[in-house]
Amino acid sequence: MSSTEIKPGELGYVNPRGIPQAPFVEVVEDYVRSRDQVESVLQSFQEMLSKYKYMEMSTLRRAGGLREKIPDIQKTLDTVLFLDSKRNSEEPTMTTTFELNDTLYAKASVTAADSVYLWLGANVMLEYPIVEATDLLTSKLKSAQESLKLCEEDLEFLRENITTVEVNTARVYNWDVQKRREEKETAAQLK
Amino acid sequence: MSLQMLPDGQETPDVQVSWEDQTRINTFSKLNSRLSNLEDEQKILADEKEYLEDVSTEIELIDEDELVQYKVGDTFYWIKQSEVVERLEKDSEKTEESLILLDDKVQSIKDEMEELKTALYARFGNAINLER
Repeated sequence: MSSTEIKPGELGYVNPRGIPQAPFVEVVEDYVRSRDQVESVLQSFQEMLSKYKYMEMSTLRRAGGLREKIPDIQKTLDTVLFLDSKRNSEEPTMTTTFELNDTLYAKASVTAADSVYLWLGANVMLEYPIVEATDLLTSKLKSAQESLKLCEEDLEFLRENITTVEVNTARVYNWDVQKRREEKETAAQLK
Repeated sequence: MSLQMLPDGQETPDVQVSWEDQTRINTFSKLNSRLSNLEDEQKILADEKEYLEDVSTEIELIDEDELVQYKVGDTFYWIKQSEVVERLEKDSEKTEESLILLDDKVQSIKDEMEELKTALYARFGNAINLER
């Protein structure tokens, strides 16, 4: 890592998936010099907030898809491993009860063979030797879990930034309230 | 679980929030959501463990050579009771392992959150609410 790299928490940081970090209002006066600017500053925060919320939504959707996909891959892998354990045993042929359709099961006699057929999607099914199928499914499972981890990381980062922007908004708003009260008091004293 | 907006006319607590404080708040909120995710997972695994325990007791009532339906993926396979017992043991072991791993994670998150809580309450007192 080079020394010029911006670390998390520093201004201008962008996370590995290109999500920028929100600016933090440490001193309100740095952001708003007079009360006229309050509205436009609040509006820019609002804009930032909706952008983050939008990214959060799409990342949530992606994570949801992965969460559905992972158990499916896991189930397929379990089955392939099960067949693998059976093919060299004394009884490679078993009676099975498999799901034909929702809540409808049928019986079939299955012999654990040396190859399986994997549904690859888009109406394509391919025959794989058991070992290759195991490798393929294992790597698919791993990459899906990896993507899910990154999604969750992004979601945490997004949520952090949403909190930051919300706090910014609260702070500027409170500053405005206080200023308005001070002005009122000065006006009352002048009368 | 965040700093609240003050309604007009209410006393403004005079607290200056620094970036460091903000980072602490953010980390706390991050850990909080991570914790609730892990607790959901924990519940699923604990249920799974319980099912496996129940079924392991029940299956003792069946004769060793009798065929029982064992579920792999979405399909049930008729296999011998003795083999199912073996497979169930392996399943239980796996679940137990993942559960222990998860418990560790949950505990370390809780510890970290406790630390942050102490620091943040010391700094902000009643101006902040960190309870779930």
